Amino acid sequence: MKKSDEEFAQEAKALFDGSVDKLDAATLSTLNQGRHRALEAARSPRGEWMRWAPAAGVATAVLIAVMVTLPGTSPVEVMPEAMTDIDILLGEDSIDMYEDLEFYSWLDVADEGDDVG
Amino acid sequence: MNAEAATFAVSWVSEPSTGTRALQQEQQLNRFLADVERRALRIAEIGVRDRDDALDLVQDAMIKLARKYADRPTAEWAPLFYRILQNGVRDWHRRQAVRNRVMVWFGRSSSEDDDYDLVAAAPDPIGRSPDEELQNSEAMASLESAVHGLPARQREAFMLRTFEGLDVAGTAVAMGCSEGSVKTHYSRAIHSLRETLGEHGPSGSGDG
Repeated sequence: MKKSDEEFAQEAKALFDGSVDKLDAATLSTLNQGRHRALEAARSPRGEWMRWAPAAGVATAVLIAVMVTLPGTSPVEVMPEAMTDIDILLGEDSIDMYEDLEFYSWLDVADEGDDVG
Repeated sequence: MNAEAATFAVSWVSEPSTGTRALQQEQQLNRFLADVERRALRIAEIGVRDRDDALDLVQDAMIKLARKYADRPTAEWAPLFYRILQNGVRDWHRRQAVRNRVMVWFGRSSSEDDDYDLVAAAPDPIGRSPDEELQNSEAMASLESAVHGLPARQREAFMLRTFEGLDVAGTAVAMGCSEGSVKTHYSRAIHSLRETLGEHGPSGSGDG
């Protein structure tokens, strides 16, 4: 006898429910862990500030674009200094420099004094 | 105590604090996710035919729902959750299509179904006779294969309406389309499945 669409759907649902009931323990455990991770994520404040992440990214990009294209500031002038700073920070000598920071500060002031004198 | 003070006292006692409300909401969300997660996994698994990928998709959907929509009315959670999940499944298929093109480029044919073994993925038998279990497993494998073979929108409509039990309005929200489209997709899906599985239906028995 031909089944109605509703009967067909009910049979399909019964088969599906049977397969859901028989999921193995390892899968159920993974689902359980995922659920707790989701609840933890809802609790964490990261969710709040992440909302603003795209806007913050756009704002930063606009700020950098303005700084680079603003009349009077040339990227060519800025970049070498920045690269020098990075070289210093990444160089092996930089640790020694930090240890003698007071000496270098004094040297800087002393040099300025010599220039004026 | 005058009437105004009494009203304040009653409202103060009956109104839960922000912390209590947050706790209640978290408990409700936990119950909702616990109720829906296993069906969602099987629905995602039929969509992508990979248990691990389906688990990832369900977890992503749970996290997104918890982060973005936990404060929405609880009645909206199911359609929203399935909308997120269906979007995840669609993205998965897009990524898979790109991967397959790359594989073809490098001279390797690849199909998303290649590694999926319906028998291996079948759940463990519990409390049934071997014959009955075998019959149900085979029937479910046939149904799963037929549902997977449907066009994506028909598959979504059928699974959300039949397997998850969402009503037409909820399915429309989950699929991001009109209720009329849901009815059309669902009707075509049933028609197509009946053709594929034969008139004896999904279980293969003629006594229905």
